[in-house]
Amino acid sequence: MEFLLENILNLVGFLVGLAIGIMSLVGFRNTGSPTLFRLTIAFLSISIGFLVVWAGYMVEDFIVKSGSLERWIQTVGIVIQTVGYFFIAFSHSIKSFFPKSRYFRSIGIMPLFLVSSVQIEHIFRSVSFILLAYGAIETILSYFENKNKGAISVATGLSLLALGEFLGWYSFVFPESLLYPISMAVRIGGLIALFIPVSKVPLTRIKFDKDIE
Amino acid sequence: MTEYRTHMKIIGDILYTTRDDLLDEEGVTVTYLIRKANISHSRISRILKTLVSQGLLEQVESDGTNKYKISNSGREFLQAYKTFSSFADNFGLTI
Repeated sequence: MEFLLENILNLVGFLVGLAIGIMSLVGFRNTGSPTLFRLTIAFLSISIGFLVVWAGYMVEDFIVKSGSLERWIQTVGIVIQTVGYFFIAFSHSIKSFFPKSRYFRSIGIMPLFLVSSVQIEHIFRSVSFILLAYGAIETILSYFENKNKGAISVATGLSLLALGEFLGWYSFVFPESLLYPISMAVRIGGLIALFIPVSKVPLTRIKFDKDIE
Repeated sequence: MTEYRTHMKIIGDILYTTRDDLLDEEGVTVTYLIRKANISHSRISRILKTLVSQGLLEQVESDGTNKYKISNSGREFLQAYKTFSSFADNFGLTI
């Protein structure tokens, strides 16, 4: 059950991240917007992070057959995902603080350097939680300004991902409980909620223009 | 409180003005754009130069005055700008 959920989560995460990342890349290529560039990095990182963990499970299941995933593969995947979450939060901090404070932008990256090598996976889960919670709060605040209904779905998605990260981190304390499967189910729900408004963006009339760089 | 506009938003405002507010067939004047976009002459001059060089705006000289009107590439850019503004809005962001 846990293995199945883990595979569904990683595949959904890979596909949703890839779809939103490609959409952001098309937007960046057409408009040159730095915001869309940051979203491209964010979602392609999230996609690659999920892919790394999924590939780790596949290698373990079909080649190594050791019975448990190599810890470092899971850690690498989570670190790559955290970089993606960082870029989502980073985009919001630029919007919130720009153009007043370069200081806040410079310290935004600090959590990535304050980790030790001990239990690095759990440290990165907690960093992901903070970044996702920040992104969710900023997104819901933007809804109050713009009344864009898509923002509610994205904020819900980010909140569920944050809750999933929290439960995943907390399952470290109770390793045999249902917390980890629940955290995966919650994260799958979060990824789906994240994709709903993005799937409604009409891309049929957009084409690349070589003159626009 | 003054709303902060990104460089991209200012470009969008200029292109919308040249598309929607055509005073005559030859386009709109710099003075009109300054008033609508609410930015300084030196800044708008730099932006207009870039937009003309990238083919998003067409510059027409009429009675000794430079006028600007949107090109087909500019219209395509505006379509993309509108689509991806809405995309970024979903994330609570401004492009």
